[in-house]
Amino acid sequence: MTDPTAPTAQPLLDVSTAPLPTQRTLKMRRNIPFQLVRFVAFDLRIMRMVLKGHKGDAH
Amino acid sequence: MADVVVLGAGVAGHTAALHLKRLLGKEHTVTVVTPNSQWNWIPSNIWVGVGDMPAEKVLFPLADVYRKQKIEYLQAKAVAIHPDGSETDPRPFVDIEYTGQGRAGEPGTVHYDYLINATGPKLRFEATPGMGPGGYTHSVCTADHATHAAHALEASIAKMRAGERQTLVIGMGHGTCTCQGAAFEYVFNVDHTIRQAGVRDLATIVYLTNEAALGDFGVGGMVFDQEGFQTTSELWTKSLFRERGVLAIVGAHVERVEDGVIHYETLDGTKHSLAFDFSMLIPPFGGVGLKAYARDGGDITDTLFAPSGFMKVDADYTPKPYEQWKATDWPSTYEVPGYRNLFAVGIAFAPPHAISKPLKTPNGTAIAPAPPRTGMPSGVTGKAAAITIARRIKNPDAPAEPASMAHMGAACVASAGTGLTKGSAAAMTMLPVVPDYDRYPTGRDVRETRGELGLHGHWVKLMLHYLFLYKAKAKFGWPLIPE
Repeated sequence: MTDPTAPTAQPLLDVSTAPLPTQRTLKMRRNIPFQLVRFVAFDLRIMRMVLKGHKGDAH
Repeated sequence: MADVVVLGAGVAGHTAALHLKRLLGKEHTVTVVTPNSQWNWIPSNIWVGVGDMPAEKVLFPLADVYRKQKIEYLQAKAVAIHPDGSETDPRPFVDIEYTGQGRAGEPGTVHYDYLINATGPKLRFEATPGMGPGGYTHSVCTADHATHAAHALEASIAKMRAGERQTLVIGMGHGTCTCQGAAFEYVFNVDHTIRQAGVRDLATIVYLTNEAALGDFGVGGMVFDQEGFQTTSELWTKSLFRERGVLAIVGAHVERVEDGVIHYETLDGTKHSLAFDFSMLIPPFGGVGLKAYARDGGDITDTLFAPSGFMKVDADYTPKPYEQWKATDWPSTYEVPGYRNLFAVGIAFAPPHAISKPLKTPNGTAIAPAPPRTGMPSGVTGKAAAITIARRIKNPDAPAEPASMAHMGAACVASAGTGLTKGSAAAMTMLPVVPDYDRYPTGRDVRETRGELGLHGHWVKLMLHYLFLYKAKAKFGWPLIPE
């Protein structure tokens, strides 16, 4: 009989249909030149958001 | 000369104090009252909690910074506010109790012309029996808690190295918790640390959360525009859980924790028990328990504070169903009604309602993530209150600087593992924090609401760590670093 306190006996969320990243995506997530570009892009996005959205009355 | 007092020296209070001194100069006094002697960059506690960073790297003594900035510093906790003074003393003041500086336990009073309440949260471990450092689970809410969590995690890894299977449960310790991002970060950092130790096959990692769906983060989830398609933070987050083999239980309210067993209820009303070897559960937050008194000594705590202990500001607190919630319910000036010289910022202000849809189990148990006010919103609201005060000292009729969470954006960089070449993080931006369905079909600007996973996210989080510690130390050029 399964132990009712075991992780397998819990109401676990089914994530089996969630998309898995491809090998290429996983590789790109660690590809230094590509990630450098993403780093700059993300920093620019934060700065744009700061300029645009940190003014509390911005519309 | 005006006296400005700031209660609390977390992100909101410390930001407010630094900006106040910058804006007011020598002519006026700025006094910070905080029970802590050190400033803590809390987002990096995650790395302390997995043993990747010593606590000293996320802390620094406040006294040195305040001395250099000529900010008065009282190591004390605020006990009560007298916004109209008393019958014998017409000036508004705050009752305090010293916690350090050689005066621990000694009572005192601090008078003010302007007051900012930035007292942050009380960590309410007591809301769930058996939870917290005094019970059977760990926390990463303070650097000290995180250090203890790291030692316990290390012990668990040692057991796995000896061939013993371990169940690690990380998540939210109550149905009304906020700060899901911290638990999300911690679960993936633990996963990363265990992988690095080469024993991932012996670990069952469970994320136990009060979010009704993964990717909710207490902000009702996000809709991203990705490569020409609109996708949700739920799908994106589920993908990460599947990829990393982390199990998830959603819509859970932890009822109590016993030695090695967590008892919880889920949204369908069923009750469950989960055995664990290591657990880190975030507690629910409440106000710090400040009292307020009228001039005649009458208790006006219920007028100034919500039942949660957070301070009421210029929000619309009319109780209304989720379907009628509006972005305009959220405060803009953080001014306490009836007092143009009193503000509550950061976690200390009472939100008008949650952001995520509040739910109840058939047994009546609330499973309702509270709205986050940490990080960027804390800093921005602290700065806005400082600007308002600086304006009003020059001109008492000056308008307040607005900073509504229904207009401002925020970045959330959730670490998923450290390492300059092996680290990763989920880097998200959202604009605005509080969704506005009148302005955007998805509640937020899809051009600015984005999520990306990768090594660059870790670099961003590391950059923010050094940048915000530099800023908090008020080093050269600090005002140029945005909140």
